Amino acid sequence: MRTVDIARRAARSLRNAKARTILTSLAIAVGAFTITISLAAGEGSRQYADKLIGSNINPKALFIVKDKALFETNAMQPGLREFDPNASTTNSGLTIKQLTQDDIDKLSARDDLEYVTPTYMPQVRYIEFADNDVKFVADVAAYDATIMSESAAGQLPPKGEQLADDEIVIPEAFAATLVDKEIVANTEQLVGETVSLTVVRPPSSLSAEQISAAFASGGQAAVEALGQPETKTYDYTVKALSKQSSTALAASSSIQVSPNQARELTEYTTQGTEAYQKYVGVTALAKGDRDPAEVKASIESAGYAAQTARDLQSLIFTIVNTLQGIVLGFGVIALIASVFGIINTQYISVLERTREIGLMKALGMRGGSVSRLFQFEAAWIGLLGGVIGAVIAVLVGTALNPTITEALTLGDGNYLLIFELVPIVIMIVSLVLIAMLAGWFPARKAAKLDPIEALRTE
Amino acid sequence: MIEVKSLVKTYGKKQSSFRALDDVSFEIPTGASVAIVGKSGSGKSTLMHVMSGLDRPDSGQVIIDGVDILQLKNKAIDRFRAEKIGFIFQSFFIQANETSYDNVALPLEIRRIAAGSRKERIETALETVGLADKIRQKGGNLSGGQKQRLAIARAIVNKPSIIFADEPTGNLDSTTGEMIEELLFGLNKQEGSTLIVVTHDDDLARKCDMQIYIKDGKVDRINRPGGQS
Repeated sequence: MRTVDIARRAARSLRNAKARTILTSLAIAVGAFTITISLAAGEGSRQYADKLIGSNINPKALFIVKDKALFETNAMQPGLREFDPNASTTNSGLTIKQLTQDDIDKLSARDDLEYVTPTYMPQVRYIEFADNDVKFVADVAAYDATIMSESAAGQLPPKGEQLADDEIVIPEAFAATLVDKEIVANTEQLVGETVSLTVVRPPSSLSAEQISAAFASGGQAAVEALGQPETKTYDYTVKALSKQSSTALAASSSIQVSPNQARELTEYTTQGTEAYQKYVGVTALAKGDRDPAEVKASIESAGYAAQTARDLQSLIFTIVNTLQGIVLGFGVIALIASVFGIINTQYISVLERTREIGLMKALGMRGGSVSRLFQFEAAWIGLLGGVIGAVIAVLVGTALNPTITEALTLGDGNYLLIFELVPIVIMIVSLVLIAMLAGWFPARKAAKLDPIEALRTE
Repeated sequence: MIEVKSLVKTYGKKQSSFRALDDVSFEIPTGASVAIVGKSGSGKSTLMHVMSGLDRPDSGQVIIDGVDILQLKNKAIDRFRAEKIGFIFQSFFIQANETSYDNVALPLEIRRIAAGSRKERIETALETVGLADKIRQKGGNLSGGQKQRLAIARAIVNKPSIIFADEPTGNLDSTTGEMIEELLFGLNKQEGSTLIVVTHDDDLARKCDMQIYIKDGKVDRINRPGGQS
């Protein structure tokens, strides 16, 4: 019998048992639905993670530290370590080795790195906007010229160019707060205004000679003045407002100044302390067309630890893949259940159609053709179930996407569920194959049926 | 020409064994109408199964047009049945939820006849049995007589050289039964195919050219067209 004719007969006998066909394929549809959703969620998460990384980190960027422990998963549980004067203690109580100016110079001198910038973390005492006396606090960070941020007002420097030393970038959200506090009339007006950052240098521990010298020159008052913290105010002009973005994290949460200024602010506040010119890490770009991974290897052989943008991506992807795997697992369990459904349904079908099978064999139909007839029925059930599940998943997913985006604050235009044709088609094809495999047992029973016995059932 | 030589078929083992066919031999000329007559349990059904290659005997030969079909491999026997044999059963075996067209198409599909050339043959077969107007009707919607006519259309669509009819009128009232008999004998004369009717009905058997009486697995007597036994 021709395959086309077998497939047509299989489809017809399924149509004749509509309720059973639909119920059996619904079991598969549950699995197909779950798998389609998990594939879409995985794809969406990966695309979102890519977007997140892409708008925060240049793909050629490397993050270099002295202490490999920072990148290790058990970094939160430090063991007993030897004391190191160049180490500092992180919030979690971990002692990490820091990069010194010497390390920065070495890294800057390398020919495979450019834009070597230590992670300055200037501690600003307070911030004043537009010559107003109201004081604010906020994070200050160095402007990253290697990623292009969008501006809400004003003009950011073109990609690759830094801010001037007297320029500052304010997040759009901060401007909204200033409008609320009636410091500026509207956000646009903030551009060109003055922003003053006031930093404090803690009093340094004084030597006996310094104290006696001060006492000799100015008496008690001079000694007290020596112990007083020094303050200094830096003035900047607002260059632009960085656009609020759910993916560009630094640009929407920190005030940004040029790296030179960040350095100056940091060094002012740390001068005379142990933290002076010590950095947790350094960001740099692989120069030209060098592969970041190769640069990383070379840096690591020089005694540092480094992470590339791809390392970060794979870290996030590992989490995404694990979560996706769990959801996928549920889908597979549903499928296994539906496989037994198919086997059961097809066995019943074979029993019901004993005489039909007997007739076909008496008319000279080969056992193989009979077997294929039942396997094709199973295949149709698989196809139907796969298509129903995928279509419902796409419809439900597309309808729910805006709600999910809002609930998870992913930002406009980002969707958690991204449906792609190729994985769905591959899934449906696999379902058809699985269904055929499940249909194999009943089909074999049909093929082995003795036509004389089958036709005797009267 | 069908030659049956010394067929023996035993069911069961040793003490409880039962000879369904015990040294059965006869010849049937091509184009004849033959009745295999016997009571229930006489072995006539087993004989039909063996002659059509559905069952294999313990020993003996069934030579059809010079070929011993019992020597053929399963695949060749299946092809032989698909090409040369038509079946008509007492309980019709019509697919109730398929149309007349698809019911008659089955033997053509089994023979791998291309879809394009099936239509004409199916229409001709349905016309022959007087069911041309029921071509799109589901088998289940037909009356008993119509079902048997549909079964006849299915049996003749391949233009087989031998048609086996197993109690073809057994499930029909006498009027409808006579119509079916007329149809079968008419086709036998027109098409020149051999008609082998398996029955316990003497009236039906007498309408055939030749009668083979089976009793307890043995040939009891044979009435040939010439009249000699």
